[in-house]
Amino acid sequence: MISLQNISNHILHAVNLDMRDGELLALVGPSGSGKTTLLNVAAGLSGYTGSVLFDGSPVDRLPSCKREIGYVFQELLLFPHMNVEQNLLLAMQRLAITRAEKKDRARQILTAFRIEKLGGRFPHELSGGEQQRVALARAVVAKPKLLLLDEPFASLDFRTARYLRQELKKQQRRLGLTTLFVTHNLAEARELGDRIAVMKQGRLEQKGTIEEIWFQQALDEGGFLEKPNILTCSYAVNLQNGLVEVGWAGIKLLVPDDGVEVKGVAILPDEIYISAEKALGPPINRFVGRVSDINRADGIVQVAVSVGEEILRVEMSPEHFLALNVSEGQQVHGVLKLRALKGLGSCRTEDYTAQ
Amino acid sequence: MMRVVVWIPLVLLTLFVCAVLAALLFHVSPAEIWQALNSRETQFAVRLSLMTSSAALLVSLALGVPSGYVLARTTFPGRAILDTLLDLPLVMTPLVAGIGLLFLFGQDWLGGSLMRLGIKIVFTPLGAIAAQTFICIPIVIRSSRAAFEGVNRRFEMAGQTLGLSSAAIFFRITLPLAWQGILTGAILAWARAMGEFGATLMIAGATRFKTATLPVSVYLNISSGELGPALACAWILLLFGFVLLLVVKLLSRNAGARAAARGGAYLS
Repeated sequence: MISLQNISNHILHAVNLDMRDGELLALVGPSGSGKTTLLNVAAGLSGYTGSVLFDGSPVDRLPSCKREIGYVFQELLLFPHMNVEQNLLLAMQRLAITRAEKKDRARQILTAFRIEKLGGRFPHELSGGEQQRVALARAVVAKPKLLLLDEPFASLDFRTARYLRQELKKQQRRLGLTTLFVTHNLAEARELGDRIAVMKQGRLEQKGTIEEIWFQQALDEGGFLEKPNILTCSYAVNLQNGLVEVGWAGIKLLVPDDGVEVKGVAILPDEIYISAEKALGPPINRFVGRVSDINRADGIVQVAVSVGEEILRVEMSPEHFLALNVSEGQQVHGVLKLRALKGLGSCRTEDYTAQ
Repeated sequence: MMRVVVWIPLVLLTLFVCAVLAALLFHVSPAEIWQALNSRETQFAVRLSLMTSSAALLVSLALGVPSGYVLARTTFPGRAILDTLLDLPLVMTPLVAGIGLLFLFGQDWLGGSLMRLGIKIVFTPLGAIAAQTFICIPIVIRSSRAAFEGVNRRFEMAGQTLGLSSAAIFFRITLPLAWQGILTGAILAWARAMGEFGATLMIAGATRFKTATLPVSVYLNISSGELGPALACAWILLLFGFVLLLVVKLLSRNAGARAAARGGAYLS
C-alpha cells in the first residue's frame, strides 16, 4: 500500500492519494496540473510537506536512492554510454545478489519484454519502441516497491504506443507492481488504469474507476476530460463469446464483455464515425440518424445526431468535418466502434459514488 | 570572383605559418639537427619536460576536475569572482606568475617548512612542476566545468531513482559522459605545460642537466649561439604540439559524430 498524505509544495495543494498493492493508477490532467511533480514527490526528487508512506512506513526522510522505486522518465534517460545489459545491471546495484544472479535476472526481464536480443546494443542503436521497453525493463528489474511512469509513450506513434500499453499492463500484472502512471491522454488512462485520478491546478479533483469519473459532476466543469455518450439499454444478452448484445434506440449493438451485467453503454464522442453515404464494412453497430445540431468550438466540430428518440454527440476535427460535407437536417450513416464501447453496470449517477 | 576573394586571408595565413616553420627548419642543416637530437643535453631536456609536464598534468587533473565539477554543479555567493580568479593564470604573464611562485616558495613559512621536510621547490625540477601546474590548471578547470555542464542532470536523477549513491552516480554516469571534454582539456593543458617557459625560468632557473626543460634548453642554446641544439628542441616541441592538437581535433570530431548518433541525448 502506497499513501501520499496531504502533499503540498509550490505546485501541489494538499494532495491525498492511496494506492492498493499491485494497482495501476493512471494520473491524468492537463499540462501544468502537477502530475509529474506528484511523481517526483513520490520518488523523493521534489521537496514537499506532508507524508509519503510505503507499506505504512513514512519514507519522507529517505533520499530517492533509498526509496526502492522504479521511474520511467518521459525522455527515458537510458545511459548512452552503456549498452542495454549494462543499463539493467546498474539498476540492480542496490541488490545484495551476485553478479551472475544479476545477469540472469537481466536476461529474464529482457525476455519478458521480448528484447532479449538487444542486450549488447547501445541506446542510440535502438528504435523508439525498443528504447521504451528497455526503459521499462530497467525500471522494474530491481523489483521496486513503486513504479512511476511519466508519459512514457508520449513520443511514440499510435500503433506502437497501443502495443506497448498492452505489454506494460501484462508485465505489471505479472510482476504485481504498484504503479503510478502519468498521462494527459484519457484513452490511455482508460486502457491502462485500474483506477484513474484527475489532477487540476495542483489539486486532486477526482479519483475512481473510469465509470465513476465519467458520472461525477466535476467532469463537466473541467473541460479537460471528454464526456462520453451514455446509452441506456432496453435489453442485454450475454452471447458467451466475449460479446454482449444490447438494444438501444431500436437497434441492436454488440459490446465487449467486461464481466458486468450491462445496463448501459458508454462511448466517447470521437469514437463514433459518421458519413453521408453508407460506409463499407461489416454490418455491426451501425445506425442511421439525422444531424440536429452543429457546433464549432476550440478546433473541434461537435455534431449532434438524432437516432430515434435519442441524441448522440459526435466530435471530429474541422478537416474531417469539411470532408464529410453534411449540414443540419441531413441524414447520416454511423458506426459505433466496437472496441470503444464500454458496458456499464448502471446508468445512474448515484450508483457511482466518489471515494 | 567573391569566392576567390574570401579564400585570400586563409591562404595568406597558411603561408605565414608555413614560412615561420620553414625558417626554423631550414636555418641549420638536417645533419646538425640530427646531431643535436642525439645529444645528451637534448635527451635530458626531453625526459625532464615529459616528466615535469606529466606530473603537472596529474596534479592539475586531481585538483582541477573536482573544482570544475563544483563550479558546474553548485551556486554560491562570489562564484563569479572565484571563477574569474581561477582563470587569471590564463591571461597572466608567465614571467609574473613565476615571480609570484618564487616569492611564495621563497618565504620561510612555506619554502622553509617544505625544505625541513626535505622538499626543495625553488631552482629544482619540482619548481618547474609548480610553474607548469599553475599555468595549466585553469585549462583543466575550464574544460572540466564545460564538460560537466554538458551532461544532462536528469541522467543523474535517473541514477538516483535506480538506487545509486552520489559516488556511484559520479563515477558511473557523470564522469563517463564528461570524460571526452575533460580529456580534450587535459591534452591541451599537457601541451601548454610542455611549452611553459617564463614561470619555469623564474622558479626553477636555467641549469643544464638540472632544470633545463625543452623551452629552457632552447633559451640556453640560443643565448650561447648554439643554433643546432636550440632548433632541435624547438622542433621536438612543435612536433609534440602538432600531434596533441591533432588528437584533440580527432576527439572532437568523434564526439560530434557520437552525439549526432545519440541524437544529442547526453547533452542538456
